[in-house]
Amino acid sequence: MVLALFVYPLCYSLVTAFTDKAGAWTLGNFSRAFEFYGKDIGFTVVIILLSTALIGTAAIAIGGYLTLGESPLAVGVLRWIYRWPLFIPFVVAAQCMRTFLAKNGIMNNSLVTLGILTPEQTVGFLDWRGIVITFVWKQLPFVALLVAGAMAALDRTTIEAARNLGAGRLRILIEIVVPQVMPTLMVGLILSFVTMMSVLSVPIMVSGESPTMITVDMAFRINNYGDYGTANALGFISYALTGVAAWIYLKRGIAEGGRP
Amino acid sequence: MPGAALEVAGLEVAYGSVPVLRGIDLRVDSGSFVALLGASGCGKTTLLRAISGFVQVNAGRVLANGRDITHQPPDKRGMAMVFQSYALWPHMTTAQNIGYGLKLRGQSRDAIAKRVNEILAMLKLQGLGERMVTQLSGGQRQRVALGRALAINPDILLLDEPLSNLDARIREEVRHEIKALQQKLGITAIHVTHDREEAMVMADRIVVMDAGNIAQQGAPEDVYNRPVSAFVAGFMGAGNAIRLEARPSGNGLRIAAGPDNSAADVTKPALGPGIDASYAGPVIAHFRSEAAILSAASDAPDGALVLRGRIAQASYPGGHYRYGVSVGDLNVIVDSGQRLNVGAAVGVRLPVEALHLFPADGRANQQSFKQAS
Repeated sequence: MVLALFVYPLCYSLVTAFTDKAGAWTLGNFSRAFEFYGKDIGFTVVIILLSTALIGTAAIAIGGYLTLGESPLAVGVLRWIYRWPLFIPFVVAAQCMRTFLAKNGIMNNSLVTLGILTPEQTVGFLDWRGIVITFVWKQLPFVALLVAGAMAALDRTTIEAARNLGAGRLRILIEIVVPQVMPTLMVGLILSFVTMMSVLSVPIMVSGESPTMITVDMAFRINNYGDYGTANALGFISYALTGVAAWIYLKRGIAEGGRP
Repeated sequence: MPGAALEVAGLEVAYGSVPVLRGIDLRVDSGSFVALLGASGCGKTTLLRAISGFVQVNAGRVLANGRDITHQPPDKRGMAMVFQSYALWPHMTTAQNIGYGLKLRGQSRDAIAKRVNEILAMLKLQGLGERMVTQLSGGQRQRVALGRALAINPDILLLDEPLSNLDARIREEVRHEIKALQQKLGITAIHVTHDREEAMVMADRIVVMDAGNIAQQGAPEDVYNRPVSAFVAGFMGAGNAIRLEARPSGNGLRIAAGPDNSAADVTKPALGPGIDASYAGPVIAHFRSEAAILSAASDAPDGALVLRGRIAQASYPGGHYRYGVSVGDLNVIVDSGQRLNVGAAVGVRLPVEALHLFPADGRANQQSFKQAS
């Protein structure tokens, strides 16, 4: 099953990326991919890295508050709501963000209604910012869930020992808690990185403009030109980018003595 | 008399609706070593956590050097705690763990390195400063935890069962090291433990706790030799308990002869603080297995209380034999150097100084039987 459903299609795509329509070996698909979509490749990397960084920061903040927060009510409310977007598919998340972030969307209408902005001052976020916001909104609960779980599983006395010596909560979070949950945080971020690399609906629905992400370019090459070679070359580049992320993770694991 | 480093007055703590501490009054003199001793669930760790600020108190006050710290956060109390689980930070080296409190106090890198080296030398951890704490043995980790607490020169050192995760040999070694360090530094220490011997060896003063109350406090010899209640007697090792009849006689109590025991007179000072010399009625007598002497069943009492029974069980724990002796429908434990056979009729001879007498009430009776069996 694994061979039929995963290994064969993967190998076939890799081979197609390095062959022309006549079946001869070539790097032409890659030169075309970089020539036409080099800017989109860079855009994709920046968007995903920025989203990953924001997800990591926000997940630490949420997990940290759930672990170190002293208001039972606020902790309870946060614990209850932060997981909601986890159960929403990307396509629905994108549609939600279209209606929320548009120039005449819910966000701007609310700000105008509250008198914070005038209709002339409103700006739509349906561009790279919209993609980043959607990715963060959708993926944050997943990483926060992992990170909060790891923080909850920490030996609580390691936190109390720091508190006892005089450390404040922010310092405890940064110097005591986060280093101990770093392996879990890295797993969550790498899985999110890989997931975001493969999302097509969000860049198509949230930002129709150029530059866009390479998943859109892949779909375009196949749907409009039947150009599987260039699409597969872009797929290979996407695979290489996630491979780099996995390599960094594994290298870090080895440096720490084989811990995951 | 030295000043009080810590005073606790009327302290009450509850977890939800369940009271855990029921009005604790405690004074800890400056430079002394106090052990909070009790069984699991008696409230000793909660008392330590209330003193350190990790538990909210419902009523009462905590004063450190005369300053009311009842509602101060843990980091503002001038105390350092050594945790049962070590609570070392696994992502830091030994030196980083020890120096963290100094770093929080804004000390320079050189000053931190100097102090860390002092602590490493003091705790015999030289050469381990750059090693990750996860690579240290249990005893070494416990020393690092102690060093981390001592590095900041705290007014009061709090020890929450710091030796319970160590094996017996290392535990004895670290026990003496902690006591020696405490005396050398003159620091005030409060030590939570459920180990009687550990408390006796380390502390200047023992506070025995039971069900959220202080059952007795005093010098180790005093608590050991003059327990005020059957619970304290049992907890301090006088686990054998027998029911007898007593009535006032002269300067003490006369124990009446019974089907399984001789008569005996227990006069002051052998009559401890647990019973009044005017008491008449049933009493529970506690005694330690090592205080009893096995003799022939027919031997004269000669001033001692003699219980008549048969050897029901024999074992050899090392250095002496340990016998379970059936006395009526009770079983008492007696240590002896003699080798005796199971089934032999014996007299269990109890010098009156070895008896701890208490009025017989349901609670004392039940507790004592549990200890004895």
